[in-house]
Amino acid sequence: MEAIFSIPFTVLEVPNLKLKRPGWVKQPSAMVMFSMVLFSYFLVTGGIIYDVIVEPPSIGSTTDERGNSKPVAFMPYRVNGQYIMEGLASSFLFTIGGLGFVILDRTNHSMPRLNRILLISVGFISILISFFMCRVFMRMKLPGYLMA
Amino acid sequence: IKSVKTGSLFWSCLCALAYFYMVSSWGGYVFLINLIPLHVLALMLTGRFSHRIYVAYSAVYCIGTILSMQISFVGFQPVQSSEHMAALGVFGLCQMHAFIDYVRSKLSVEQFNILFRSIVLMGAVVSLSVAAIGTATGKISPWTGRFYSLLDPSYAKNNIPIIASVSEHQPTTWSSFYFDLQMLTIMFPAGLYFCFNRLTDANIFIIMYGVTSIYFAGVMVRLMLVLAPVMCILSGIGVSSTLNTYMKNLDVSRKDKKTSKKNVDHTYPFKNEVATGVVFLVTAFLITYTFHCTWVTSEAYSSPSIVLSARAGDGGRIIFDDFREAYYWLRHNTPEDAKVMSWWDYGYQITAMANRTILVDNNTWNNTHISRVGQAMASTEDKAYEIMRELDVNYVLVIFGGLTGYSSDDINKFLWMVRIGGSTDRGAHIKEADYYTPQGEFRIDKEGSPTLLNCLMYKMCYYRFGEVYTEGGKPTGYDRVRNAEIGNKNFDLDVLEEAYTTEHWLVRIYKVKDLDNRGA
Repeated sequence: MEAIFSIPFTVLEVPNLKLKRPGWVKQPSAMVMFSMVLFSYFLVTGGIIYDVIVEPPSIGSTTDERGNSKPVAFMPYRVNGQYIMEGLASSFLFTIGGLGFVILDRTNHSMPRLNRILLISVGFISILISFFMCRVFMRMKLPGYLMA
Repeated sequence: IKSVKTGSLFWSCLCALAYFYMVSSWGGYVFLINLIPLHVLALMLTGRFSHRIYVAYSAVYCIGTILSMQISFVGFQPVQSSEHMAALGVFGLCQMHAFIDYVRSKLSVEQFNILFRSIVLMGAVVSLSVAAIGTATGKISPWTGRFYSLLDPSYAKNNIPIIASVSEHQPTTWSSFYFDLQMLTIMFPAGLYFCFNRLTDANIFIIMYGVTSIYFAGVMVRLMLVLAPVMCILSGIGVSSTLNTYMKNLDVSRKDKKTSKKNVDHTYPFKNEVATGVVFLVTAFLITYTFHCTWVTSEAYSSPSIVLSARAGDGGRIIFDDFREAYYWLRHNTPEDAKVMSWWDYGYQITAMANRTILVDNNTWNNTHISRVGQAMASTEDKAYEIMRELDVNYVLVIFGGLTGYSSDDINKFLWMVRIGGSTDRGAHIKEADYYTPQGEFRIDKEGSPTLLNCLMYKMCYYRFGEVYTEGGKPTGYDRVRNAEIGNKNFDLDVLEEAYTTEHWLVRIYKVKDLDNRGA
């Protein structure tokens, strides 16, 4: 059996390679994965795929009575259309809200008093701001939101 | 997840039965049959492979695939199409991994390493060549258009107009996310964080499900369906973990004069108050969430689309029951074997309510056939008549919203008919640019392109419309959806005759005239 396997090697010469897996390649930790997932969440909920396919302008514009053009931030009356900036702003708010909850969870570990006070307040503020701003944005888009 | 946790055959069989139920109800089962192998692969990569996973996955794959092949629509696809190849591949990998673990426990280290490396090399070469040969000879069919457009969203827009035209296939905007999910969009990252904190086999499945379904829901609005369960699960994890940590901080015991000072944690001021605040905040969010959900359901998801209603100027309600009126007219006044040509949106409705044969329906199964119908709608009357004789059509049905202001009518969908009609060989003479004005606008008034003003769809929608007053202060034939007076009034139809127009002109039915008695 060995004789059959060694036939090709009378003609071919095995190269003297020394391949080694580079040391700095290692499996990323859980939190690194989480931050990558969060970044992709930010992009996707901002409607980046909609932006790439439909290519809306970054800011809309209307002309008022005297012919001046005014910028319009939110595409009105439609839930299924957006401008690029409004999408990114809203997904920024979603992410900030999520991070607020993460911060609130972190404050339960042990840490100095000042840090803890600051982190709790940052967490609370980010959650409240994100929630209410999202409601305001939605009302700006759909004027009849939450009114019968 | 239960079968992964327990590793018992019983739960795996139940899982396979549930998968079979899913296959029989929706084509979206392809997502599942790719997600589960992906999960097993992730577990293998993070070193969490165990005999429980092995038992669970092998049982689910074998039983599930055999059951799914019982459905005639699926047939032999699980062993032939690329969409199912991942499951097959991971199944093979599972067997090899378990076998390697077994051999490793029996052999010495030195022998094992040699055997391992040679087998891996041989296995990789064999499987790659099999896959290459299979794809090249066509035995393994490539990804179908619908699923390929999920991986490459611009594919449908450039190549297959039918898939691109369905409004539910458009990519999702932030407001669609917020409208359907409100608070969940904020809790989703929090839930993900808690899952990443405590990585277990089950958590990894939820993370993978969440991440993949967020991406797919971002590509196509209707896949928000797939995102909804995992959004709820992850937000639930987020809410419960937050409440868990903060409930422990609550201190509801009575004020006791003799509370020992050493219990007070000086680095954590107002522990009690903060905890109460957080619990209160989460409760308030949940309550507003229910308000939002009930509002959305009552406004957007409750109205039937077959009977429309609108508010008249004086506040009273007008009901448009034109669809049912037309379908019942068809049912009672046409011969039993009459064939109706309409656009594919109305196919199922006509079949169910009018009980007549149609050419194309919502299944959009046969692209060439739909393209032929599109060519008929977009051509002039004579060309369209040839197509209608070829397809043996007796009646034609169009939806027209110009009198009522109903904006989802066939004129608004017309450009899609042109695109789809021009996308096959026999429709190569139909070019979208012919239907626009020289400036590139789609107009139906006098400035409109002559091709548009003389095509069959235009004539069917606007027949006799030129004599009707629609709005005060506007001339006759004023289209209330496009906000313009139509360009081609007072024409006659040569090959069709009007059979029925409903009360508000929403549905118009035409009968195809027979050939002349004597040759022309």
